Amino acid sequence: MDDVPLATLHPGQSGHVVSLDREHPLRRRLLELGFVRGARVTVVRCAPMGDPTELRIGGSALALRRADLHGITVRQ
Amino acid sequence: MPAPRPPGALVPDEQACRDTIQRLQAVREPRIVVVGNPNTGKTTLINALAGTNLKVGNWAGVTVEKRQADLQLQGRTIHLLDLPGAYSLSPYTPEELVTRTALLDEGPDVILNVLDAGNLERNLYLTLQLMDFRIPVAVALNLVDEAKEKGLTVDAAALSRALGVPVTETVASRQQGTKTLLEHSLKHATLGIGVRYPAAIEDAVADLTGRMAYLPTLPPHAWRYLALALLEGDPSVRGRLSATGHTALIDAADAHLAALETQDTDALIDIAEARYARAGDIARLAVPQVQARRTLSEKLDRLTLHPLFGIPLFLALVLLVFRLTFSVASPFVDLIGEPLQETAAGWASALLVSLPLLRDLVVGAIIPGVGTVLSFLPTLLVLYLAMSFLEDSGYMARAAFLMDRLMRSLGLDGRAFIPLILGFGCNVPAVSATRTLERRSDRVLVSMIIPFMSCSARLPVYVIFAAALFPRSGSWIVWSMYLLGMLMAFLFAWLLRRTALPAEGGGVLLELPPYRFPAWAVLWKHAWRRTKSFARRARTTVLATVAVVWLLLALPAVSGGKFAQVDPKDSVFGSVAQAVSPLFAPLGFGNWQATGALVPGFIAKEVVVGTLGQIYLGEQAAAPAPLGLIEGTKQALGATWDALKTSVAAIPTVLALPQLGADTGADQKSPLAAALARAFTPASGLAYLVFVLLYTPCIVTVGAIAQEHGRRVAWITVAYQLAAAWIMAFLVYQLARALGL
Repeated sequence: MDDVPLATLHPGQSGHVVSLDREHPLRRRLLELGFVRGARVTVVRCAPMGDPTELRIGGSALALRRADLHGITVRQ
Repeated sequence: MPAPRPPGALVPDEQACRDTIQRLQAVREPRIVVVGNPNTGKTTLINALAGTNLKVGNWAGVTVEKRQADLQLQGRTIHLLDLPGAYSLSPYTPEELVTRTALLDEGPDVILNVLDAGNLERNLYLTLQLMDFRIPVAVALNLVDEAKEKGLTVDAAALSRALGVPVTETVASRQQGTKTLLEHSLKHATLGIGVRYPAAIEDAVADLTGRMAYLPTLPPHAWRYLALALLEGDPSVRGRLSATGHTALIDAADAHLAALETQDTDALIDIAEARYARAGDIARLAVPQVQARRTLSEKLDRLTLHPLFGIPLFLALVLLVFRLTFSVASPFVDLIGEPLQETAAGWASALLVSLPLLRDLVVGAIIPGVGTVLSFLPTLLVLYLAMSFLEDSGYMARAAFLMDRLMRSLGLDGRAFIPLILGFGCNVPAVSATRTLERRSDRVLVSMIIPFMSCSARLPVYVIFAAALFPRSGSWIVWSMYLLGMLMAFLFAWLLRRTALPAEGGGVLLELPPYRFPAWAVLWKHAWRRTKSFARRARTTVLATVAVVWLLLALPAVSGGKFAQVDPKDSVFGSVAQAVSPLFAPLGFGNWQATGALVPGFIAKEVVVGTLGQIYLGEQAAAPAPLGLIEGTKQALGATWDALKTSVAAIPTVLALPQLGADTGADQKSPLAAALARAFTPASGLAYLVFVLLYTPCIVTVGAIAQEHGRRVAWITVAYQLAAAWIMAFLVYQLARALGL
């Protein structure tokens, strides 16, 4: 039950959102897309060049860059 | 972290609901706005609702599409307005800003909210936000078929009860439910059951809306929404209110925010959580059972986003699109270029035989000008069709995902790759494709480097020079031009990023929507409309430029010359070219012929070859044989039929392997190639090619850039590319000479 940045999860792993950094450049948008406390998010795959990463949250498939995954804390 | 608050629903005000329904019945010409998340099939739904009544334009001042229609229903005229797709009402893109502004300013009679049945929870977030407005809402539950495929069955009645507004199931692609939807929207749309936010926030909202009641300029339907947006710290609402002199309101909101913070409450998070909690509750009510199935999209993504095959597959698809574009369109391009123009010229000569000057203008300027524009159309139509297909099918988002890492080094994101690739086909649709980018600085930057991507019109110039000067390494020369163009594009993107157009920062977020088979009718309409708007835009600029060049060629610059009967060298055009040609001496082609041929290249680059022919071979435009009306029509029809046959026959060959390099052998014996071989050295020829590649976007591309980003950006692009072309051609010429070419 560790709180870790979403960036540390590997494809196939999932976690529940704990918090978003206050300075996250996409904070507002991520909240609107469902990155609220407790939401389950799954890492699906990385792009062929290593970045960005495809995530599944709710019924949506979204892609975020590694740098932006660091500001999202999840509990595994 | 504070304990999660219980989610809440507002107690619906029955009386207010009845009132709104009654008021709506009384509106003579109700205005309905259509709002929904991106990728909910909204465009298809609008097409199904409006059919041929749909009018498409741009929102004033922004290049965001505006679709609207006037419909008749039971004796009432309905004004239907489609608002751009939005995830929420806190604008993040120009499209979302348009949507939010329309809701604030236009005060529509009904909001028709389109939901993706397969992604209910996230879609409901917007629905609940819409209910913060005091505007009646009706819901279209769309993509029901696709949700079923995913194993989701949505109970529309339960959804309707939970939201307190009418819900109509639709499958827009098959026109199911659209009639009922309109009727429900007009008869039963009501305010719905919005979110009750945590008490501390509701108190602040009550205070703020109380203050707004004294401010006559703020529309009552927006009070609650505005109060919440202020508490969420929405920068665009704050900007808007402070610009209209409501700073007192902002100060009041700030005081509330400070008070909330002392209670360890972050209003932004609490509001989002309250909406999601309620959205989740409603979704669970409406979709009681979920049997998750692996969808077709997931299976396809395993291939298209494969670590090894993903990128090669993308590149192969791009190649396929170009092959398709050119093999299907080129017979028509040839038809417009030769037989149709000749026929038209024949008629014009016959009709205007007694007015030689007018005849010369028509035959020498107007017909070729119109022909130039027309010859772009088949290529553009096919390219736009292919592009719309890739966009609407969901593949473009995957392409952006694949290429994002590469574009990041330029401070761009993956979506910017698509316009650049399109630039190889034709720069014009590439410029309009920059609309898919979120930030204005990105759109401008990409548009400014697109002209470096060597479009298909430049190929004929490379081919003839390669044949004349580099018979053995022709295809290498051609390929190096493409490569040089790309390198220049990346170099200038890098330079512009560090000077005039710094990256705006902010994270990058892409949605990968499910794959869908696009509706042909929508694709066709889309492509046809874009092509038409291109033709409209190009007509005036190109015609004017062609006429000016013609005039300059017809005006004698020497005494005793007769109008329209001068040698090109003695025309005003020739003397101007002579005057500026010393500028090009350091590039190796300081003669008036080579310089002069560059000028019409501004209209369309392939014209350079024709002009070189005219100048070097002294070929006056061959007087077309006047054809009779019937004979001419016959010839034109016959040629059209041939073009159609060739075009259809070309479809299977698209799949054949592309030829690497241009076939330069065939042109070797052509008189022009021979003349060029005498006039240019390999070094000066190479420098000339580099100059043609880089020197300026064609007039049509300039027009496209001006339309998207304003004249200033367009002229800056022309100027800096001229400078870049001169410098690069200079370097190439000097280097080639040093190497002994």
